[in-house]
Amino acid sequence: MNDTAIHLENLAVRTGRRTILAADALRIGRGEMVGLLGPNGAGKSTLLRCLLGMQGGVQGMLSVLGERVDRLGSGNLARLRRRIGYVPQLLPTAGEMPLTVREVVAIGRTGLAGLLRPLGRQDWRIIDEWIGRLGLAPLAGRGFGQISGGEQRKTLIARAMAQQPELLLLDEPTANLDLGWRERMVATIHELYNASGLTVVLVCHELEVLPPGCDRVVLLDAGRLVADGPPEAVLSAERVAALYGPGLGLMRSGGRWAVVPAQPALTGETPHA
Amino acid sequence: MLDLAFWAPVMVGGLLAGGSSGLLSVYIVGMRIPFLGVCVAHAALAGAVFGALAGLDGPMLLLPALAGAVVTALALGLADPRKVHMDANIVMGLLFSMTMGLAFLGLGLFATLGRSDNDVRSLLWGSLTYCRWPDVWLMLGAASALGLFVLALAKEMRAILFSRTDAQAVGIHATGVWTGFLVLTALLMTVNFQTVGGLMIYSLITNPAAAAFQLARGTRQATALAIAFGAASGLGGFLLAAALDLPTGAVIVLLSAVFVLLAALVRRARDCFGPSGSPRARHR
Repeated sequence: MNDTAIHLENLAVRTGRRTILAADALRIGRGEMVGLLGPNGAGKSTLLRCLLGMQGGVQGMLSVLGERVDRLGSGNLARLRRRIGYVPQLLPTAGEMPLTVREVVAIGRTGLAGLLRPLGRQDWRIIDEWIGRLGLAPLAGRGFGQISGGEQRKTLIARAMAQQPELLLLDEPTANLDLGWRERMVATIHELYNASGLTVVLVCHELEVLPPGCDRVVLLDAGRLVADGPPEAVLSAERVAALYGPGLGLMRSGGRWAVVPAQPALTGETPHA
Repeated sequence: MLDLAFWAPVMVGGLLAGGSSGLLSVYIVGMRIPFLGVCVAHAALAGAVFGALAGLDGPMLLLPALAGAVVTALALGLADPRKVHMDANIVMGLLFSMTMGLAFLGLGLFATLGRSDNDVRSLLWGSLTYCRWPDVWLMLGAASALGLFVLALAKEMRAILFSRTDAQAVGIHATGVWTGFLVLTALLMTVNFQTVGGLMIYSLITNPAAAAFQLARGTRQATALAIAFGAASGLGGFLLAAALDLPTGAVIVLLSAVFVLLAALVRRARDCFGPSGSPRARHR
């Protein structure tokens, strides 16, 4: 089996005359966890959509799990997507929707089961297993619109894992979550990665979201890859200031990273400045 | 006393129109696309208008009406909101305005040519009272086609109901399934418009699901309840109207709205006094 999960060369995404993403080269091996970092509008979510073959205006070479996404027809693209677990940044507006948590997780098995075939016993066993592993069992019969934002995100992670994917794409999985839920989500991602060994691409703009197991960081800014490597090599106060603005410093504790204001008086700590 | 020979097709027609519209309402309310009804209605009207101008008349006018509705449904289904950079409701609004413009342009031509447009108008604004057995068979055929489609592709439709983009992302042929659903919806709605009239259909493609979603847990329960509310509105409204000597369509519409109010009250009571009446359960 090819040990490369993602490989791209001279990838460009254009909308009209504007280039919103231009990446020279990137290779992500199977079993790696990579944090894709950058400010808003850097092109992180666009890159994820490219990996799923859901982005228009793409040029260049893009291979995912050994398949050339840029050359696949709709049928083969659908087959590739069934091997990729995807947790979107935006939650569906679920106000009027009657779907239960269990039904939402079951969506992860829908593509795999195939058209005109109902989900089998094995599918439901996997669905219930992931509901249990993510601590959603007490909520399984509840409406998706009736649970909290954090529980909804966990449900979408369970949906992605029920696909038994080879590649997991997480697009800002802690967006709009409070501190407690953010930490629970980071712990969940960390545990999933350690237990499954699957390839994980985690998009975020907060360094705090990077789990301790994330040993590679790719920085994006204004649609370009600006750095790639271990967090210790890539993350510096200068880079953070260049990406997010002046007056910021970096802190590291227990394998986790955080961006803090550079003035010690505000934090009571001495960040790396 | 009702003359059953005359009123039986009316009652079955009411039951069918209500039940099938109830099934549709699950997707129309769940995906927040209530504009679909007027969009399909005006597309069918435009088709019928140009069919009549081409020389068709009587029941044959249903064919261009269906063609207009189906072409519009195809355009709606194949227009990927992400690729056209427009929300589905905006695409519907655009198509609605175009088809309405075409329909009124055609109606204007009737006056210019000194011809009557009564055939066209009556085709799309029928009345349940005049529903006969051939109409019922047509409705049954269209409703069965949609019902079988939704049953066979239940899990795909459930995924699309949640999010069309997410459905694509997990490897479902969402565009194909959604387009197929819209084409069958266009067929069913055009047949129902012709038989029971627009006022009743507009209300029955939203109210049954609005009531069902108050009470149901899960799509299967919601769908069953929406079909039941729709059918009860169609048949119950007719019987009430007959008993009280009131206009049928209006009573059906009002009854379907009463079901929504009652369901909302039951939901509130259940949230306050039921076993799962926690503050979070009340929060939507």
